Amino acid sequence: MKRKKITYLKRDFNKWSIATLAIVVFIGLPIYTIAIRLFSGPGETWQHLVDHVLLDYLFNSGVLLLGCILFTLALGVSSAWIVSRYRLPCHKILEWLLILPLAFPSYITAYAYAGFFDYGGSLMRLSEVLGLKAFRVDIMNATGLVFVLSVSLFPYVYVASRAVFIYQSGRLIEASKLLGANEIKTFFKIVLPMARPGIFAGLLLVIMEVLNDYGAAKYYGVSTFTTGIFRAWFALEEPATAIYLSALLLLIVFTFIFLERWQRRKKSYELASRSSIRLPKIAVSKRKTYLFLCVVLLPICLGFLLPVLQLGYWGILTFESVASSAFVMITLKSLGMAVLTALLTVLVALMTLYFPVWNRVKWLRKTSNLVILGYAVPGAVLAIGVMIPTLHFDRWLIAMAEAFFNAELSLWLNGTLAVLLYAYVIRFLAVAANPILSNKLKLKPSISDASRLLGYGPFKTFLKIDLPLLKPGLLAGFILVFVDAMKELPLTLILKPYNFNTLAVKAYEYASDEQVMEASLPALCIVLTGVVPIILLNRFILNDKYQ
Amino acid sequence: MKKLFLASLVTVLMVSCKKTTNDKQVARPVVQEVNVYTHRHYPADQNLFNTFETQTGIKVNVVNASADELIQKMTQEGNRSPADVLITVDAGRLVRAANSDLLQSINSEILNTTVPSYLRDENNRWFALTKRARIIAYSKDRVKPEQLSTYEDLGANVWNKKILVRSSGNIYNQSLLASIIAHTDEATAKNWAEQVLNNMARAPKGNDRDQVKAVVAGEGDIAIVNTYYIGKLLNSKDPEEIKAGQGVGIFFPNQQGRGTHINISGAGVAKYAPNKANAIKFLEFLVSKEAQKVFANTNYEYPVNPEVPASSLLESWGTFKEDKLNLSALGEHNKKAVILFDQVGWK
Repeated sequence: MKRKKITYLKRDFNKWSIATLAIVVFIGLPIYTIAIRLFSGPGETWQHLVDHVLLDYLFNSGVLLLGCILFTLALGVSSAWIVSRYRLPCHKILEWLLILPLAFPSYITAYAYAGFFDYGGSLMRLSEVLGLKAFRVDIMNATGLVFVLSVSLFPYVYVASRAVFIYQSGRLIEASKLLGANEIKTFFKIVLPMARPGIFAGLLLVIMEVLNDYGAAKYYGVSTFTTGIFRAWFALEEPATAIYLSALLLLIVFTFIFLERWQRRKKSYELASRSSIRLPKIAVSKRKTYLFLCVVLLPICLGFLLPVLQLGYWGILTFESVASSAFVMITLKSLGMAVLTALLTVLVALMTLYFPVWNRVKWLRKTSNLVILGYAVPGAVLAIGVMIPTLHFDRWLIAMAEAFFNAELSLWLNGTLAVLLYAYVIRFLAVAANPILSNKLKLKPSISDASRLLGYGPFKTFLKIDLPLLKPGLLAGFILVFVDAMKELPLTLILKPYNFNTLAVKAYEYASDEQVMEASLPALCIVLTGVVPIILLNRFILNDKYQ
Repeated sequence: MKKLFLASLVTVLMVSCKKTTNDKQVARPVVQEVNVYTHRHYPADQNLFNTFETQTGIKVNVVNASADELIQKMTQEGNRSPADVLITVDAGRLVRAANSDLLQSINSEILNTTVPSYLRDENNRWFALTKRARIIAYSKDRVKPEQLSTYEDLGANVWNKKILVRSSGNIYNQSLLASIIAHTDEATAKNWAEQVLNNMARAPKGNDRDQVKAVVAGEGDIAIVNTYYIGKLLNSKDPEEIKAGQGVGIFFPNQQGRGTHINISGAGVAKYAPNKANAIKFLEFLVSKEAQKVFANTNYEYPVNPEVPASSLLESWGTFKEDKLNLSALGEHNKKAVILFDQVGWK
């Protein structure tokens, strides 16, 4: 028995497992730092929170989640199905327009909508111009928040479901139709169930984003879990309580992941990929074309056009006071940082997916799944989680320098771009891992198995076989992270070095000083820099010949 | 494995050596700079920093974030914090920083004589830079200023469904309630918060500007806001915002009694400031006549330097009696205020 264990150890303890563990430890460090502090329990005000506000947080977050899940599913899946199944005029443009709302930080969309519907806002002025009775809509409440978050987050669902619709369902749809099922029955009985894992991957990102939202909820006056975390941390001065709340939040996200895994269980979704052919698009009658166009244009208008127009108007009003050479520098710095982040994150995501596969240790694969949790931790909490270990390391370095070289160092690591980059990677690993993973699931393991049989090692097989096949997933991951990094706020606020600024921070600074109009120009720049990569993302999804 | 073992051995040795050597003071290279952690993000501030740079040759490095986040950052960084100056937009946060031992007492003749004593820490750990008054903005159409008197009066029945105010997560509201706790007691303060909550025209949301707009839109009759936001509305690029600013009158409450609640933007020198001398110079510059004029004229805040007049706009609103409560009280009662807000259900 003992000997057997040792052989296992010998077999399992190789460079890949060590590397995996190293990554898991390194990437997970801030999350563990926070998790460890969980055991010291919540702070004194915990009872107060339980008595007075916790139920409110739970209820509001629940309503928000439910509403956003329903709306993003409705908007994302319907538009994805229509653009991938039917022949519409200008379909190429529609396809990438549907992803564009992702370029907006959701709190900016929230400000834009408040400005649009508010007193003296664009809607009121429009109705005056048209000679109608001036009217306005109160959007600053929980319902409005569901609306704003849904129209800015539905593309996550759209991107995920369209990728599946285009490639996975072709032959099955043909079979279903041959067997006499109509279009609607085929969709609900065949297409949707097959697409579920893909859709859920997109939906999970929506769930995490909704739970993480701070700016929009705070502005609209909705107390959620995340606003509660900030309140406990900063207003009640109790980091312990805030961390406790974050842990509860993690638990909720965990539950979602677990539920889906449990429901999917051992069903295999590879079948579809083996027979994947690209769906031929169906031509439809004129009336249907208009109907479908409306369905597709609605989320585009709500998620992109309207906010852009509102911001554009504000941007023109404030152009002179905001635009400057310094502003151009900030734009360039944001861009550089986002590219770097995206590259690194994709690389790390790839390593966490592949290293554990190259040795046959099951628990290692499970452990490596944990690193994507960074996305579920609120940004501010994650930032502190990053600061604690890096500061420890810095102090240690300082002590070493004093002891051995009689030199005095200042903080060597903290307040550098390296730490910010590290935090970004932890945060966005889930964003990069999702498309890569779903791409990988579609690959037939038999190809790389054949390569191994024919004598290539795991690494060479990876380079020659898997990597080219993974290209679309990698690019999608890269672009999604890039766009997210351009928008990232709390981490950047806390960890950024001196004299370094990003567009998102700039926009936030204006907005937090109640200069929402001035915030529009940096926000528009974030959107503009996101547009080109998003169009590219769309092309990669469509044109990947390896599918 | 051997290498791993060696590496850990070396590490252990290094760590154990650490304690045997005495702390040696080694002169750091002299770089003329000052590191500023600030919650204020106004373009006017950046211009002031540039002026300071050209006048003194001292480079100003800025980190922007909310005061809470900056305080967390300084706490984590401890004695290695590069921060020299902390600037906040609220006295409560400065007191918190001082109480957490993040600020140091400094001795500056200029600061002591320029900043009135109730606007600075008794141990000189922080100083006000500008003042804001938390006032009542009323609809010029529907409310006569004679109807208004005190913050306490806002609890009266006449204001049922008429009051607009932002959420209790906002530090300005927390400080207002903290000042009421300081002047009276917790029970009275709680009672006040409860009454105001009952008189609210809608659930708290938006920022101070939104409250003023809602008054003009007719959602409520009066709003509790800071003075300089009215200044900002009146000087906005958006014609509709100017209209909103013009639609409200400004009332300074509690003039017969303790005076209108004021809050400050202020600054302190960090406990472990690596550039302490520059930090003091920087603060002295910020309360100088030149800098105070910029604060007063571009941001519609009240200057703390008594020699600098308020901007003509602020003067047009008239002079008023300030609540001279020592601002340290705002910090001391802040947490209690948040808890009271939660208890009465003021979101």
